Amino acid sequence: MSKSAVEVPPRCGFSFDLCRRNAMLSEKGVKAPSYRKTGTTIVGLVFQDGVILGADTRATEGPIVCDKNCEKIHYMAPNIYCCGAGTAADTEAVTDMVSSQLQLHRYHTGRESRVITALTLLKKHLFNYQGYVQAALVLGGVDVTGPHLHTIYPHGSTDTLPFATMGSGSLAAMSVFESKYKEGLTRDEGIKIVAEAICSGIFNDLGSGSNVDVCVITKGHKEYLRNHLLPNPRTYVSAKDYSSSKKTEVLLTKITPLKEKVEVVEGGDAMEE
Amino acid sequence: MDLKKDLDAPHSMGTTIIGVTYDGGVVLGADSRTSTGVYVANRASDKITQLTDNVYVCRSGSAADSQIVSDYVRYFLHQHTIQQGQPATVKVAANLVRLLSYNNKDMLQTGMIVGGWDKYNGGKIYGIPLGGTIIEQPFAIGGSGSSYLYGFFDQAWKDGMTKDEAEQLVIKAVSLAIARDGASGGVVRTVIINSEGVSRNFYPGDKLPLWYEELEPQNSLLDILNASSPEPMNIQ
Amino acid sequence: MSIFEYNGSALVAMVGKNCFAIASDRRLGVQLQTIATDFQKIYKIHDRLYLGLSGLATDAQTLYQRLVFRHKLYQLREERDMKPETFASLVSAVLYEKRFGPYFCQPVIAGLTDGDKPFICTMDSIGAKELAKDFVVAGTASESLYGACEAMFKPDLEPEELFEVVSQALLSSVDRDCLSGWGGHVYVVTPTEVTERILKGRMD
Repeated sequence: MSKSAVEVPPRCGFSFDLCRRNAMLSEKGVKAPSYRKTGTTIVGLVFQDGVILGADTRATEGPIVCDKNCEKIHYMAPNIYCCGAGTAADTEAVTDMVSSQLQLHRYHTGRESRVITALTLLKKHLFNYQGYVQAALVLGGVDVTGPHLHTIYPHGSTDTLPFATMGSGSLAAMSVFESKYKEGLTRDEGIKIVAEAICSGIFNDLGSGSNVDVCVITKGHKEYLRNHLLPNPRTYVSAKDYSSSKKTEVLLTKITPLKEKVEVVEGGDAMEE
Repeated sequence: MDLKKDLDAPHSMGTTIIGVTYDGGVVLGADSRTSTGVYVANRASDKITQLTDNVYVCRSGSAADSQIVSDYVRYFLHQHTIQQGQPATVKVAANLVRLLSYNNKDMLQTGMIVGGWDKYNGGKIYGIPLGGTIIEQPFAIGGSGSSYLYGFFDQAWKDGMTKDEAEQLVIKAVSLAIARDGASGGVVRTVIINSEGVSRNFYPGDKLPLWYEELEPQNSLLDILNASSPEPMNIQ
Repeated sequence: MSIFEYNGSALVAMVGKNCFAIASDRRLGVQLQTIATDFQKIYKIHDRLYLGLSGLATDAQTLYQRLVFRHKLYQLREERDMKPETFASLVSAVLYEKRFGPYFCQPVIAGLTDGDKPFICTMDSIGAKELAKDFVVAGTASESLYGACEAMFKPDLEPEELFEVVSQALLSSVDRDCLSGWGGHVYVVTPTEVTERILKGRMD
């Protein structure tokens, strides 16, 4: 097949075009940039009638907090959600990819997605990339076979657990679960323990911070409690507005009026041909 | 930071896994610890995985690799069972594991023990260590904890044990390895497979025999602190 | 040295009341030597959508060309302009495609949606989107920009106030970064007009 003159957008898959150049640069001592990570505390537990997922909302790039209120509980299917930790681009891409595969599968079968299907698709992708796609996930959902909670590691191994934690704050969160989790928790008890676990990550792990997101999934119903708790409100709001003594010095100003958006109002009569 | 590196380390099973044949079947046993570096990622994992109705496999090494191999083998065996119209033999199952382990030996870090029962050969144990060798053995041990057990098995394994003797041997061996191997721990799980079917047993960590210098299980400090009368230091 | 420090850049976008501002510095350097002081880092995608590219200039220009190409294909096929959200997803996809050999660019996207609501967004070099309600920053001066914007930003600014805030934030931040500076380039976009201004800054 001859290569066409213009580069047509590729359909899928990674491109390794720049790898050699970038390897050359890093050989010369030029450091590649750090990627956005979610240092993260993410957790999940099974309670009496479903699954509760929880996450903090801090995204970091090295030591810099680059997003104070990001979303780490990703949509997979109406009855399945997934918390992501690791490189932000990877968790985002892998969950998006699998959720679209699940949607197509639902169109094909006309049935509700199962958690095990999502699990298999995720671990297949992650195992393929041998840990280079850095996504550590907590997958939870309720399907026709009941509530399920799984953890997925970047290398593609999976665990099935009644309660799970992941990310840099996983140790802090696990200590809460290990001392407080019991079987047959009610919804409110479950949310309380999840929030407590996330808070222990927020306050004891530097990679985690800001707010608590919670997602409760039960049979045929889900509740996404975005910013369920806000334990770190801004404390340094200045009473006075910012104002500069003199105006910024401008060398050149160019004003381009934009074309008014023309709204076509349909007349009373239909157009005649 | 060391801990950071540990959490990024591949998820692996520093393990103790055992398969023992007895008169009429096999007993498989394993501990339940899965670790990433020094962090115990799962303290109650199940390392004895079902392949078919009558064949199970004990997994050790990289969790991701052993899961993918057993997933593929299970899939192939289901096809094989349908095509043949009868259950697959243990030998076929073990050979499939070997085939995948051997063909992808550069990619895989996993050692497995396949055990089961079929009507042609009875109970059989096959050890498939790292490179993809296959060895049919009366008993097989694997994982990081196995180095503590070779001498013990040379001494304790007898031909023609009963089912209960074999299971007690497995529990004793796994608990010995848990006591000495830092990468093994948690509970003991066993699977017994014979002509009558399969039975799974679970022995929690506080019910295991105590070995040299081991202490009796006791309530955690958390229980003492949460008790209604908080007097842990009662000086007379 | 990080690859971002090779050319040096500072980018910021801020949301106002039914408007947004996107601003950059004007320096192009090769490490500590300044090559140009009128370098474009903000590109127009269409009237109501702007793209800022920080990082390695060669990659920024390549990436810009690829994105314009993709946007033109979209215009031909759909006979309309891309929504800012759609464009952000496109940039993210183009960057993530090179996950294992990335463009050394950190983009900032700012646009007005169909309902004249401002949209701003930034990404890392492999396309992890960060949608913000207030401001986004990128480039070698990003750390000081975070601080300046955090202190100076307030919600629902009118275009003129927004211009002052974004300009002061930019100029004060690049003064603490050797690799960016030499004035600023600010676009303030409202539903009716685009105001483009060149700022005077320190020349050292």
